[in-house]
Amino acid sequence: MVTDLSDNPAAPMATAIHIRDLCFAYHTKPALHDVTLDIPTRQITAFIGPSGCGKSTLLRCFNRINDRIPGAHLTAGSIHIHGIEINRPDIDLQELRRRVGMVFQKYNPFKKSIYENVVFSPRLGGIRKRAALDELAETALRSAALWDEVKDRLHTSALALSGGQQQRLCIARAIANQPDILLMDEPCAALDPTATLKIEELLHQLKKHYTIVIVTHNMAQATRCADLTAFMYLGKLIESGPTLQIFTTPNNPQTLAYISGSFG
Amino acid sequence: MPPEESPSPQNQHCFQRRGFSYDRAIKYFFASNAGLTIVILLLIIVFLLKEGLGFFPGYRRELEIYRIAGLEFVDISRRNLTAHEQLSSVLNRAYFAEINGQCARELKRTREASAVFNSFSDQTSATRDLIVNNQNSGLDPNSEMLAALRKNHAIQKEKALTSLPATPHLTAAEREQLLASIRTRDATATDDPPLVTTLAQQYAAAQQQCAKPLAELRTVIDSFEAAGADLSTLVTEMTDAVTSTKEALQNADLLEQNRKSLLAAAANAKDPTERRKLLADAHASLAEKPDIEGPMRALMRRQPDCSATHTALRHACADILARLPPSLSQSDANRLLRAANKATPLLLDSLGQAPQQITQWRHDKPVPLSDAIRSFLTGKDWVTGGAWQDFYGILPLLIGSLMISFVALCLAIPAGVGAAIYINQFASPTEQSVVKPVIEFIAAIPSVVLGFIGILIFGTVLRDLSQLDALAWVPGFPIEERLNMFTAGCLLALMSIPTIFSLAEDALNNVPSAYAEASDALGASRIQTSFRVIIPAAFSGILAAVLLGLGRVIGETMVVLLVAGNRIKIPDFSAGLGSFFQPSHTLTGIIAQELGEVPLGSVHYRALFVVGILLFGIVLGINVTAHKFVSRTPN
Amino acid sequence: MLNPQSLIRKGLPKGHFKDRLVRVLLGATTYFIVLIAALLFAKIIKDGAPVLFTSQAPYVDLGFLLDKNQTLHVFDDAQGVRHQLPASAYNDYLKQHEGAPIYNPQTFSYSGGGIVGPIVGTALLTIGSMILALFFGVCAAIYLSEYAKQNPFIHAVRLAILNLAGIPSIVFGLFGFAVFVLAVPVITSTPSDRSLLTLPLFIGDYMLSFQGWNSSLMAGCATLACMILPVIITASEESLRAVPQGFRDASLAMGATRWQTIRKCVLPFSLPGILTSSLLAITRVAGETAPIMFTAAVAAKDDLPWESLAHPFDLLSSQVQALPYHIYTLAARIPASEYTRRAQYGSVFVFLILVMALSLGSMVLRAKLRAKLKW
Repeated sequence: MVTDLSDNPAAPMATAIHIRDLCFAYHTKPALHDVTLDIPTRQITAFIGPSGCGKSTLLRCFNRINDRIPGAHLTAGSIHIHGIEINRPDIDLQELRRRVGMVFQKYNPFKKSIYENVVFSPRLGGIRKRAALDELAETALRSAALWDEVKDRLHTSALALSGGQQQRLCIARAIANQPDILLMDEPCAALDPTATLKIEELLHQLKKHYTIVIVTHNMAQATRCADLTAFMYLGKLIESGPTLQIFTTPNNPQTLAYISGSFG
Repeated sequence: MPPEESPSPQNQHCFQRRGFSYDRAIKYFFASNAGLTIVILLLIIVFLLKEGLGFFPGYRRELEIYRIAGLEFVDISRRNLTAHEQLSSVLNRAYFAEINGQCARELKRTREASAVFNSFSDQTSATRDLIVNNQNSGLDPNSEMLAALRKNHAIQKEKALTSLPATPHLTAAEREQLLASIRTRDATATDDPPLVTTLAQQYAAAQQQCAKPLAELRTVIDSFEAAGADLSTLVTEMTDAVTSTKEALQNADLLEQNRKSLLAAAANAKDPTERRKLLADAHASLAEKPDIEGPMRALMRRQPDCSATHTALRHACADILARLPPSLSQSDANRLLRAANKATPLLLDSLGQAPQQITQWRHDKPVPLSDAIRSFLTGKDWVTGGAWQDFYGILPLLIGSLMISFVALCLAIPAGVGAAIYINQFASPTEQSVVKPVIEFIAAIPSVVLGFIGILIFGTVLRDLSQLDALAWVPGFPIEERLNMFTAGCLLALMSIPTIFSLAEDALNNVPSAYAEASDALGASRIQTSFRVIIPAAFSGILAAVLLGLGRVIGETMVVLLVAGNRIKIPDFSAGLGSFFQPSHTLTGIIAQELGEVPLGSVHYRALFVVGILLFGIVLGINVTAHKFVSRTPN
Repeated sequence: MLNPQSLIRKGLPKGHFKDRLVRVLLGATTYFIVLIAALLFAKIIKDGAPVLFTSQAPYVDLGFLLDKNQTLHVFDDAQGVRHQLPASAYNDYLKQHEGAPIYNPQTFSYSGGGIVGPIVGTALLTIGSMILALFFGVCAAIYLSEYAKQNPFIHAVRLAILNLAGIPSIVFGLFGFAVFVLAVPVITSTPSDRSLLTLPLFIGDYMLSFQGWNSSLMAGCATLACMILPVIITASEESLRAVPQGFRDASLAMGATRWQTIRKCVLPFSLPGILTSSLLAITRVAGETAPIMFTAAVAAKDDLPWESLAHPFDLLSSQVQALPYHIYTLAARIPASEYTRRAQYGSVFVFLILVMALSLGSMVLRAKLRAKLKW
């Protein structure tokens, strides 16, 4: 089953991530089966599904952060990002991860100052000039709607910020690299509703510049933010399409059961 | 816990607790066991202070006697005399270093030849002595037994010939000649092999040859040595006088103490006759006040004489030392000459100030308690059990402890932290399962075994290594003493590596994995993640590991007692980095070495407890700081 | 994306050589430590094993393990044959060959015979101090893990444990000397002169005299127990805390008292852990020299501790030889020569084997325990 999300008539779009017959396993335990999906650029795509359905695993394949887990490996299929197969052996992993930013479920700023957190990856990229770094930091923090809140205390510890601010700092840190794609693994799971709202507003701003893929267990969040939604269950992609269609007229009975709260 | 008390005591509900329960008793029993730790800590502090604090008054009295008996007065002159003697010894060493440096080749050759012959003699001497003894005791020279002995000797000779030391500076032909002369040598021969004699003669000739241009230097040194004779005589004369005054004072103190304890016993005695007897004893023990004024007047009469001698010596020294050559040809000799040049103004200064000190000195100036404390904390001498005067200055011990710890940490920090980073960040699981137990095994080696290894194996290996020509550029090489601070530091490093390693590895392990994940997701490479995220995050934990390692090193006893060389002297820092290769004593070592030999309750005994208090304080401070750092690590 | 091709790297990854260099440097450091340790063990095994093991059955030189320590006499007889005999055998030899001349006699203290005295002494010291430390340590740990709430007392106890753990062993030696050797109370009819305080007991002539236990097995055990107490408490508390809270809740919910809960539901499960970690504490106790130098150890002793005692309790108040102190004596007080090597390397080898066996045992048991106990 090939689902092309870009079928959406409202906006004919290029494909950012092109997934074909993806199978993935931890040691011998399979986690993903034959996932085939196209994710369009400059849109928010949400993955929904019950716990353990493989939505996080799929997300973590896009920047190959799964490589960190011993025994995790691709068993079949391919992922192309802007036409490049990212599982080929000569891929520059560091470059890939800089192009495909990621924000984690639990906000995890380093135990450094706010400024040092934001300029961490530009520094790794070899930028040394203070002025350039300052500018990058300001741009990133402004994009993450955090600049006004922290501009007076850039050099204080990042861990003194509130949870929502820390998560936005993590977003700023990810976009300081000027990536193309932003992966978000349940970014609001550890936050209170007010902070969640702020992040959701931010997502709408960010989608003008970035392709965003977000994993969420919160269906309301998916309906609020996402342009497109993919429902996964037991490691399989069950159904995907424009958010409105998935939540109003799902084609698959399992999808219907899930969104109506029968399980999950 | 039982439920809350009900408000009214009359209303006995079935949940209500009655009286003192069995369960509470058990709780208090366990609590008292936990309290035992506090009791032990308090006991340690109380008893260290109880035994140690009596030191300062006792030491003050000793210093007082030192002053009123006039020993201090004599020491003004004696110090200058010692400085003068040291300077002449340095000059002499420079002179011989110059000569030996110039005929280094001859020196090495004669040494190597003698070493070969001595090694041979050592290995065969026992049988040789037997043969000589037997012949001298008038036995028939052809008896069966003598033959057996000779056969034995021949076997031993062959064996010895295979294990003689190397002779890199002798030609192959010369060595062959030497071995041949040994091989054909009669068991009872007493003369040296011809080559040994020849080489010794060559060396002597070379020495004479080199000494000729240095004749001027020789006269300078000789006249310098001779200039000190007057002062030396003066000091010897005064020493006898003041020593007897000191003894009289000390005896009076002992009698007084005895009297006090007798009086105390009398006050406690119940039996009236016994009490009378004790009181009588106490009166008998009343010391007559020793005459100190008489000897003191005699001593004071020497004041002008003393001043004059110092002034004369100063002029003589200034004249003589101005005639020293500006430099010598050998680097060793030059170093010593520079040291002498540095010491010269100090000596002249000290000699110049002496007359003033001598006239200003007063035997009745009081000795406050603060003097005793200052003398302990900043004293440069730890002299005990001597006939002259005991000094309890902590500096030589403290410096020894600190220098050894410095060496140990310089080696252990890179090794321990480096290994922790490698094992935690880069090693495969197999490597981890090999390295970790090995390091745990090192931690289990008892310190006395490490000391044993140092004294029997490592010290010798290090000394042999230092004598290689290829390593002569290392400062301090070749080392003079087998047991020195560096040797001790190496072994202590081995001892503290497990502590530093396992605590630092824990600290690295405790860094949340989210940090590494975030760093990876931002495109950092493996070493960037390690060095820019994980190690900085674990930094305070690693610092704590290093501090706890330092605490362990400073508090370690057996290794330093066995290996540090136990010379109580502030190292000669003029040797630069080479000063680490000098022997020294330590805070811990001095307690272990001397506590078994001192009389209970003496000032010396109490001094050791004060050293213990100091050690306790230092280590406690280090540990408290370390635990502050530990509590700062994330999670 | 601006240039997707930039994802494909050309040649080796960036920083490849730096990465390699760092790995090699750190790895070399690590394996250097391992190498040093291996060399050290190899040297001691090479020189020590021939002392203990022989080529004929029973393959172990039992004499070295079971004989008393004696002075070694080395001499030549008239035939030029060199003899090395411990003192007792030397006296026999003199009796047998009366009047025969002896040449080049040399004596080496502590180098003859075997090391049964030090082995037994160390065993007694270890057992005594571990009994004391385990009893008080486990009780204290039970209080800390089962009863303690946040209060100043607990805070003080934790501080005391932390500080005790860091005190240098020589300071424990000083403490043991000042307290157990010179100050603890004994019941006696004839108090010594240096008694700090005597209290009449009103039973016969007996008095409670604070005069200490002298240098004795008792004093040594007490000193070592104080030294190891913080280690035992920390390890025991860890084992007790490893028992899941649910066990306690279930027991309490069924109406058991605290003590019953601890006795039936906590202690049995934590006991293996406590014993395993106390094995490690034993290696430390057995290896320490500084605390027993002034409180219990003696360099030379003719009898085994239990021999020639007037009363069995005198065992506790007699001095003992100890293996670490014996090694200290062998290393520091006698010159190294070919005749002392047997005693020196043999003793160190035996000691190291004992300590390593204990340490290995603790490691293996801990690994087994971790594998077994997964609540």
